[in-house]
Amino acid sequence: MTRALPVALAAALLWLAVLPLFGSDYHVSFAIQVFMWIALAGSWNLISGFTGYVSFGHVAFFGVGTYTAALLITKAGWHWLPAGLAGCVPAMALALIIGFPCLRLKGPYFAIAMLGLNEVVRALVSYFEGFTGGGNGISLPPIAAIGPVYYAMGGVAVAVTLVTYWIIKSQFGLRLIAIREDETAAGAMGIDTARLKLYAFLLSAAFPGMVGGFYAWYASHIEPLSVFPLLTTITMIIMCLFGGSGTVLGPVIGAVILSVFQEFVWARFLYVHQAIFGVLIVAVVLLMPRGIMGILRQRFRLPRAI
Amino acid sequence: VSVQITGTMVLQVVVSGLLVGGLYALVALGLSLVFGVMRVINIAHGTLLMLGAYVTVWLFDLFGMNPFVSVLVSMPVLFLVGVLLQKLFVHRVVHAPELSSLLLTFGISIFIANAAMVAWTSDYRSVEFLTGSFVLGEIAVSKPRLISFGVALALTGFAFLVLQYTKIGKAIRATSQHRDVAQICGINVRRIDLITFGFGAALAGAGGSLVSVMFAVYPEMGQGYVFKSFLVIVLGGVGNYPGAFFGGLLLGLVEGLASLFLTAQLTEVIAYVLLVVVLLLRPQGLLGGRT
Repeated sequence: MTRALPVALAAALLWLAVLPLFGSDYHVSFAIQVFMWIALAGSWNLISGFTGYVSFGHVAFFGVGTYTAALLITKAGWHWLPAGLAGCVPAMALALIIGFPCLRLKGPYFAIAMLGLNEVVRALVSYFEGFTGGGNGISLPPIAAIGPVYYAMGGVAVAVTLVTYWIIKSQFGLRLIAIREDETAAGAMGIDTARLKLYAFLLSAAFPGMVGGFYAWYASHIEPLSVFPLLTTITMIIMCLFGGSGTVLGPVIGAVILSVFQEFVWARFLYVHQAIFGVLIVAVVLLMPRGIMGILRQRFRLPRAI
Repeated sequence: VSVQITGTMVLQVVVSGLLVGGLYALVALGLSLVFGVMRVINIAHGTLLMLGAYVTVWLFDLFGMNPFVSVLVSMPVLFLVGVLLQKLFVHRVVHAPELSSLLLTFGISIFIANAAMVAWTSDYRSVEFLTGSFVLGEIAVSKPRLISFGVALALTGFAFLVLQYTKIGKAIRATSQHRDVAQICGINVRRIDLITFGFGAALAGAGGSLVSVMFAVYPEMGQGYVFKSFLVIVLGGVGNYPGAFFGGLLLGLVEGLASLFLTAQLTEVIAYVLLVVVLLLRPQGLLGGRT
């Protein structure tokens, strides 16, 4: 298992690297969505999976990323690639504003603050109509080819996964896990818990900002309702939990499996989509709190850092 | 669009803000009790409020029942819902890390809201029971708001009396002060958990019934209330039950005053700014809390 894994991963990456050369547009855009979910679920994992502080408003970072990129492209004439990457700047700024007061404190303050964040950002975007187009949103020039977006989104997905791997391997990661397991004890061991939680949160906010930036270019049109849906937060949470939070491959596995299900099964049950996710969250929390990775770990000998 | 703000207008928004604040206090008390006893923030609290509102809508539509009287139905119904949720799910995560209870109640909340949408559509409903206002001098006080406030005040007072003087109330307070010691003293803490969760849900349900005469009723109406209730708790000081009452009034007041200067959308933002500022400057609450 341990030896087969890198080979399988390399093969999968190679196949994905050449997919746009022969794949149909449908396949490529489906892959873009999967990349997007891997990056989003993986970024949620960075704060909630490692420190145990639940973010209920991660879509807010995605949303400010989309608006930043859209404004840079349409008003400042930027190329889409730097504009998309720049999506991480306001996302991290927002994370700093919320994280600084809320992560100094233990307990549910952070989760509740994140619960309200999305509505607040959406209200602000709608309010500054002159700048953001209000409820009408912003239209971007249509894109000629989706190949470049594929590689950009794939790049973010890979980056999130590599960063997660680095965190697990590093002292930083060990400290975060110590915070999750027992914050008081971690503090007593000399870990600056408030500062490390904030770092994890900033990292965790940066990636959805970039994903949002590329999404804006890919979707060609954004509006408050389409880029701040609660469902996006719910989806990234359930993907990460289902795959296994606090692991490197968990969010990847969760995102791939649930994206496939979403595409082929649940698309027919749009009305009960959220209810299914609600049931899944409850089931995962109660029955398999360590997700698929936890089950795999019980059956096979897996290295710690995956 | 600058309108001259007069003293009468200020008085007007202060009064109507305080009236809504009484309702916030009632709903927040439910969240606060559950948090105090089990250290569980019930993310589904707002969804339970929505269910209470639908109980009132249905009783009003089918039997023409007075919405203020229907509190007597929505409270026991929601008490049962709460007991059921506690028995089936929540009791399993009482001792688990916070993440589990937050995510569990979040999942429950999503499910109930979606089920409500499938069952009752997402159309806005309203209970047009009392309309018009009492005119006192220069200000007008909306009748449904005033009566809602009165009922909310009575229920909050009732809850305080129960907590203060009855055996069960004392057991609830003891459990929230120190769970293990309470258990050693012979209190069945699991039973207290069950009753508290039911009681918290009942208060949310009552809040829903009272909200339904003022605002539209729809499956996602509860979303903002968890956040606002938590803000009320933080304003009053965590664990400080009477503080939560003043926290509620304060939030209503601030929102009322903000509505003078800001659009409805930005008024929602004010509550958020208030939370962040309070957490930054005075996390123990404005009135001081129990640690």
